[in-house]
Amino acid sequence: MNPAYPLQLDQLRLHAGGKPDGRILIAELSLTMQAGERWVLLGPNGAGKSTLLLAVAGLLQPNAGNIRLDGRKLADWRAEELARQRAWCPQFWLDPFPVTAWETVACALLATHPEQAASAVEAQARQWLKEFDVGMLADRDVRTTSGGERQRVALATACAQGAPLLLLDEPVSHLDWSHQSLLQARLKRWSQQGGLVLTAIHDLNLAWTLATHALLLDGKGDTLHGPKEQVLQAEALSAAYGVPVHIREEDHTRWFRIELEQTT
Amino acid sequence: MTLKPPPLTLAILVTALGVPLAFALGLLSGSSGWGWPAHDIFWLIRLPRVLAAFGTGAALALAGALIQLVTRNPLGDPHILGVTSGASVGALLLMLLASGMVLAPELGAVAGALAAMTLVFALSWRSMGRGLSPSAQPGTVVVLLVGVMIGAACSAAVSFMLTVANDTQLRNIVFWLLGDLNGASLWWPVWLACIVAFMLSWPRSQELDWIARGDAWAWTLGVPVARRRRMAIFAACLATGTAVATAGSIGFVGLVAPHIVRLTGLRHARMLLPFSALFGGVFLVLADTAARTLVAPTQLPVGVISACVGVPLFLMLLLRRKG
Repeated sequence: MNPAYPLQLDQLRLHAGGKPDGRILIAELSLTMQAGERWVLLGPNGAGKSTLLLAVAGLLQPNAGNIRLDGRKLADWRAEELARQRAWCPQFWLDPFPVTAWETVACALLATHPEQAASAVEAQARQWLKEFDVGMLADRDVRTTSGGERQRVALATACAQGAPLLLLDEPVSHLDWSHQSLLQARLKRWSQQGGLVLTAIHDLNLAWTLATHALLLDGKGDTLHGPKEQVLQAEALSAAYGVPVHIREEDHTRWFRIELEQTT
Repeated sequence: MTLKPPPLTLAILVTALGVPLAFALGLLSGSSGWGWPAHDIFWLIRLPRVLAAFGTGAALALAGALIQLVTRNPLGDPHILGVTSGASVGALLLMLLASGMVLAPELGAVAGALAAMTLVFALSWRSMGRGLSPSAQPGTVVVLLVGVMIGAACSAAVSFMLTVANDTQLRNIVFWLLGDLNGASLWWPVWLACIVAFMLSWPRSQELDWIARGDAWAWTLGVPVARRRRMAIFAACLATGTAVATAGSIGFVGLVAPHIVRLTGLRHARMLLPFSALFGGVFLVLADTAARTLVAPTQLPVGVISACVGVPLFLMLLLRRKG
């Protein structure tokens, strides 16, 4: 895998659904993400996490400003070039027709490396499934897998694409604890090999252990970004989520907790 | 559920036996019983009819498979595009107004199909490119709804024409609407359309598979989704329009042939498209053979047979798999 190109957001403005009359999600945001970093994307429901991921994936035109990869505007990239640079793993999957798990992974492998022999593609696809502990499901119809299993197949597919920039939309929403930790290990290895990870997430404790950097959206246009120590703070989180967030710090690890009594 | 690898060799073997067998059955059976037909009957009636049946079945099945893939809808059916209803209006108009004309229903159907197809594309051109973002309404839903609306408008026109037709016309119209290969002498246009549709879509079959799994996701893999979708819908319209012009609106084949092929394990578009077409062709040849021999000398509309045989066949395959 080649190291990821720097990803720049340049005076980015985003409205809900990318529509000019949509609610403002991000008023103006400029930042640069570099290879080796792991960014968590935080914010309440509907704050624009998925919309930002869509924009960075190139699927949605920003309302103002630019997104640049390697200094080039996303719109100037050809779709097949972009496929080798970034992989997008959506939050929901709808599988209308039967297909095995390994064939799903193979799609991503073939898209970026069409020259490979069929047998090599299958072997690699099965290997990627093993990496996410779903090797035993390789020949199963993805429509008969559980939510967490389907999610791991999707994550294996995203990694198999071989694009250094990973855009993951709530990748742990269906994962149990052991597989959350497995994903964390995989993403850490990914960034150490020169990859760049941007992932939307709701679990602040997981966000803390996973991330190097964080971007917090409040859903009203304001954003806060930087190294995780600066973003994952009680005041900013409480304001964004609208509930008091308490933090306990132990050996450089922060534990996050909200007061359930306060929310009725 | 574990999926077995596609039984490609078996499928090729079955096809290699099934296609000639269906043709032999179709050619050797007639209203007067079994046997080698007279020279003229063979060349002027039997052979064109069997070829027309095969081409029609293949075109409808191919169109159905394409629609299901690009709209990501297992209930996709070639007739959902409104092309069939457009063709019906055109055909019925000429049957009423110019009944003496050579190839009256066929030419009317072609004109009607073309008009409906133009309308579908004009109204949903932009939508076919949209829908990449999962939050927006998928563009393919718009295409389907436009098709359904055109169909509804045309149905009203058909109902009107049925009320003003006289008794002789009415019988012809009803047969045409049910799908009828009787007198389908012009067999080659549907073959041509089917081949063109296949040549357009088959080289892109892998990308069509990816679109079926997620259109936005396919785009991030580098697939020009809007272009492929328009291509597939164009190919489906072309195949459906000519099939309807050849044999009237024959239901069932387009919806169910791709599912039957899928249930046998041939689930990749690369295999699904050709084998759906072959299965659809064979199926309609056999259905037509039954339609013209079962209660000979009376000829049943082929649509009746295709539903009578196809529905139980499909349910059997479906329920066996689920169990």
